[in-house]
Amino acid sequence: MTGGYLFNNLYIYLFLALFLLCTGILGVLFRKTLIGMLISLELILNGAGLNLVALNRFVSPEDGYGVVFTLFIMGIAASETAIALGIIILVFRKYRHIEGEKLKEMKD
Amino acid sequence: MGAAEIIFIIIALFTMIGALMTVLSGSLIYAMMGLISTLFGVAGLYIYLNAPFLAMMQILIYVGAVSILIAFAIMLAGPFTMKPKEWTTVTKFIGSIVVSVVSFVLVFRAIMQTPWVQGKIKNFNVTTKDLGRIFLDRLAFPFEIISLLIVIAIIGAIMLALFSRRQG
Repeated sequence: MTGGYLFNNLYIYLFLALFLLCTGILGVLFRKTLIGMLISLELILNGAGLNLVALNRFVSPEDGYGVVFTLFIMGIAASETAIALGIIILVFRKYRHIEGEKLKEMKD
Repeated sequence: MGAAEIIFIIIALFTMIGALMTVLSGSLIYAMMGLISTLFGVAGLYIYLNAPFLAMMQILIYVGAVSILIAFAIMLAGPFTMKPKEWTTVTKFIGSIVVSVVSFVLVFRAIMQTPWVQGKIKNFNVTTKDLGRIFLDRLAFPFEIISLLIVIAIIGAIMLALFSRRQG
């Protein structure tokens, strides 16, 4: 797991996945528009997939369940993006903006 | 240090810089370009993890479909008509950076303290045939559920577009 080549090290992949997760959290929290939040969400999903494949490769390389679950994540992310973008375009047609902070009709 | 390691370091830096550009850039189009570079970088990391089928699927689904969808949404509802400023207030920025760094430190400590065990087999070699066997033998029910989910998502997106047009 450790030693040898740099790309045969589990910790580097875990670090990269963690970096993607944290930048995604940062984007979701401070982006103003809904599309920016959605793009940051894609980063989080990619970090999760990278994590699964790295653990499958290094910790339990007998079968390919991590790869299969990453494919599941890809399907879920694609459908989620389609639905979310439909909703965002509806919001834009109704309110003429897509800023997340100003959408507080149901909050008030 | 061989060529493989140098290429790996370049890919990793590409991924990280793309992620930072996705989050910090002021314009949504630049954010989308950063997202695309991050997705390409993750595909390269999948190749280094001996999963070339997954890398191909990453490029096909994410780079080919999802980012084009996001590009269409940006063009339909995005900065060309309204030019929204992406930068929020300073306090919100500092707060989100604090949340991000704290979660980074917590998960990093958890990763470092966990004793990862090396798998028994040295070389990880999952072919597309193995993936097909897992999909259609052992995980057939989740596979069908995922396809149902995608069909429902497509129908839902079409319904959203149609009904919004009818109501004006």
